[in-house]
Formats: sequence, structure tokens, C-alpha cells
Amino acid sequence: MAGLQVQGLEAGYDRLQVLHGIDVDVAPGELVAVIGANGAGKSTLLRAVSGLLRPRAGRVLLNGEDITTASAERIAARGLAHVPENRLVFPSLTVDDNLSLGGWTRRKDGHRAERRRQVLELFPRLADRICLPAGALSGGEQQMLAMARALMAGPSVMVLDEPSLGLAPRVVGEIITTLGRLRDDQNLAVLLVEQNVRAAFRVADRVLVMDRGRVVAEGTPDQLADDERVRAAYLGGGSTSSGSVDRPAAEARPAKATATP
Amino acid sequence: MSDLLQLVFSGLAQGAVYGLIALGFVAIFAVREIVNLAQGEYAALAGLSAISAVTAGVPLLPAVVLVVPMVVMVAVLIERLCIAPIRKMTPLLSIILTLGISTALKAIMLLIWGPQARGLPAFPGRDIVLAGVSIRSQELWILGISAVVGAAVVWAYEHTLLGKAMRACAEQPVAARLVGISPRMATMIAFGVAGFVGAVAGLVGSPIYFSSWDYGLGLGLKGFVAATLGGLVSLRVALFGGLLLGVLENLVAGYIDTGYRDAVAFLVLLLVLLVRPQGLVLKASAARV
Repeated sequence: MAGLQVQGLEAGYDRLQVLHGIDVDVAPGELVAVIGANGAGKSTLLRAVSGLLRPRAGRVLLNGEDITTASAERIAARGLAHVPENRLVFPSLTVDDNLSLGGWTRRKDGHRAERRRQVLELFPRLADRICLPAGALSGGEQQMLAMARALMAGPSVMVLDEPSLGLAPRVVGEIITTLGRLRDDQNLAVLLVEQNVRAAFRVADRVLVMDRGRVVAEGTPDQLADDERVRAAYLGGGSTSSGSVDRPAAEARPAKATATP
Repeated sequence: MSDLLQLVFSGLAQGAVYGLIALGFVAIFAVREIVNLAQGEYAALAGLSAISAVTAGVPLLPAVVLVVPMVVMVAVLIERLCIAPIRKMTPLLSIILTLGISTALKAIMLLIWGPQARGLPAFPGRDIVLAGVSIRSQELWILGISAVVGAAVVWAYEHTLLGKAMRACAEQPVAARLVGISPRMATMIAFGVAGFVGAVAGLVGSPIYFSSWDYGLGLGLKGFVAATLGGLVSLRVALFGGLLLGVLENLVAGYIDTGYRDAVAFLVLLLVLLVRPQGLVLKASAARV
């Protein structure tokens, strides 16, 4: 069973239980977006999946293998890449070094140069800044670097925590487009946590709506866009941070989304 | 004039030993926010062990070469037993913990070797007089070996993938784990490096400055002061800070009073903490997000 399966996941911090039984499936070549208000547990879900937080109950399967209790380092080595909130690039290291460290788990397989070439093709802007310290990059470039770094490990599953945070609308569009390409061209299974609902709807095959640690709605973007509650809460007039990814967004959404049950 | 040169030169030799100890502090602090107060003890342990080996009839070179990996192993073992099991390490906790380790090591050394200070025989070579400055061959050994070891450690941290991975652990611990770098491994290696430079410092310095059970405390403090000049994160500044401190101490001892020698380090520490607690040299890009 390829991709990522999350079954009945419960997790939290000390006495605070944040996740109350989450189920998510992401198949290869599928992009699932998770939306929800602040504090809904979206980031906690990703942290529990990638091993930064030990789940209390439930299971996480990566390509059929149980990784529920594995360490973050081991999970990274098994092919799950987590692009963290706030990007967390290594600021004093150069862009090139950040990429090299992204390939840390595969440092001995001899394909580093090849992956580096592919990644720079995907993010040409990084190639121009390859010798700069990552701390000197703009927010958008740092986000690209964080994604590029994650890709250097040659992952089969990628989870991203709010890649659009604090970025200019045009850059958000670029990043979302790249995510779609990764899914389509590299058959990556992508789990995207996003506050920017319009951006998420534009690219996602399926969307989960989380509220207080539970999945309260699930469906294709079209189905959810018709859902009164979702519209009111997340797509209403001025409530989203970016009205920029607007009309062209809907057109750019791949046709295959409708084929997904 | 030759007085000044003499004081500066012997200060440089002493300072090189401080620089190596400072390097040990930074080698660890640049990876995990751990202040390792047992750093000086590695030097004392190396010196005393080598003296015992030489006394037992082992020639100087094999004794020195054998003691270095032994001290590295001790440093790594202590990390495994006392540092690794701590789940939420903080700088303050690390200070308390390593102060305990330092005290325990001192007690063990006192039990094994007694209170007497001893020195290794000088490394081979002849003392020379150059421009009115008498230079001991051991001082040249100290400077030469410190330069090689210092350069090697700086190079390893700045230019190898492993070194970069270890620095990444300090800059962004979460992101380091997400790309698969194990902080446990990085911490273990850092302690090995600290043990290595500590052992080298203790061995090259022993013929002139002697080794004793309590040698490590003062030496560790001097090394720590030198390391604070670089905010505990710059290897280069730590090395040069050691040299600077050694020279300053010697000048104060020579021109003012030998009794003030040990006050210099604390004065420098006080100044650094008051004026630039983030270190004298600060890289703008190293800002932590």
C-alpha cells in the first residue's frame, strides 16, 4: 500500500490532547489539503506523522510500513519529507549546503548531483543564489529552499505546513503551482496544511476540514465549496488572507480532481 | 623590547593551550547548547595518564598517541552516560551537570594520582635564542601542534558535510531532525572532538605547565573566557581568543605582578559580558529565527 495512511491518530502535548482520532489517506500522485482554524490541530497532525511528536494512539503507515513510533530521523530516511512551518532553513549555511543536508539520508547513494540538478530546475531562483547564506534569502526564496531541501531526500511522501505563510500572493501562486507539478510529474503523495484556503482549493484533489482535533468535513474542493458551513467559515468575503489566487485559480485546478471519489 | 617579545612569545604558547580548550567548548556549544565545564578535565586526564605511561616505561611518542584516543573515549562515554539520557537539556542544566562531572573526574584523578603536580618529559628538540628571545622547543611544539589541530577542527566543522550537519543541529534542531540528522549522533561526535582537543592541549602543555588533578579547573575557565569572545559559537575566534588571553596574561604578569595573572581572564570575561554578551564577533546571518 503506497503513500501515507493515518488511522485513528491521537496526539497532544502533556495533558492537552489535540488530535482526537484523525484518519487521512494520501495516495501517490494525490494532493490532500487540510484546512481549519488556528488551533484545530493541523500542525500537530503533521508533527505526529513525521515523528516530531509521539502519537498516543492510532497508526501511521508510510508505503505500507508502520512508522507510528519511529524517530523523526528514521522516518525521514524512509522517504517522508516534512517541510516545516516557518521554513526553518539553516540560516548561516549556504543554499547549496542546505540542499546537501537535505540529501543527508541519501548521502551515500551517489545520485546527489542528479537530484540537485532536478531540484534547481524546479526552483531556478535558487540556482542564482546558490552561494548565499540561506538567512539572506527572502521569505519566498526560503520557502522554495525548504521545499527543495526536502526534495533532495528523494521522498515518496511530502507533508507541508503552511508554505504560503507571510508570502506575497504571486509567490504563493508559484509555490502552489510547483506543488501541483510535483504531484503530477513525480507522483508524489502530498499532504498540505494551509490557512490560505483559496490557494489550497486551487490545487488539492481532496480537502479535509479540521476543527478542534477532528475531521469535520471532507470532499473535493468543488463539493466543499458548495457546502454552506465551509463557505461561511473559510471562503467568505474578507475572511481569507489572500483574495489574489482568485479566478485563475479555479481554472488552473486539474481536471483529475473530479475523477477522485 | 626583547622583554616584550619574550613575554609575547611565551604568552602565545600558553595561549595556544587556552585556544585548544576554547575550541572544545565551541565544538560542543556549536552543536547543542551545552556548556561543558568538564572541558579542562580532559587535559588533566590526558597529561596524568601519559605521565603514568612514560613512568611505566612506554616511550613518549606511543604514550602520547595512545592517550589521545583513550581520552576521546572517556569523553564520549561520559556523554553517553550523563548527557544523552537527559531529555530536555537546557544551558543551565548542562552547566550543573558538567560541573558535577568535572568534580567527579577531579576526585577520581586525585585518588589515582595524588595531589602532586608532574610534567611530561619535553618533546624532542633544542631550545633556541632568536633576536634576543629564548624559545623553548616545547613552545614551538605547542604552537605547531595547536595550529595543525585547530585548523583541522575548523576545517572539519566548516567544510565537511558531517561538520555542516552538526552545525545545522544547533541552528535549527527541528529541521535537522526532519532531514534525518540525528542530534544524538551529532552530540556524541561533538563530545569526541572536545575530548580530542582537550587531550592534545593537556599533552603538549604538560612539559611546561605540568599536569595535576586540579589543573583542569583553571585551564577550563581560561578556555571558557576565550570561547566567550566568539559568543561560544565561533571556532576561529575561540582559537585567537585563547592566544590573546595568553599574551595578555603574560604581559600583566611581566609588567605588573605575577599575582594578577589569573585576574586577567576574569576581567576579560566581565568586559565581554558587560559590553558584548553575544561575543565580540557576530555574524549577521547567524541570527536564529
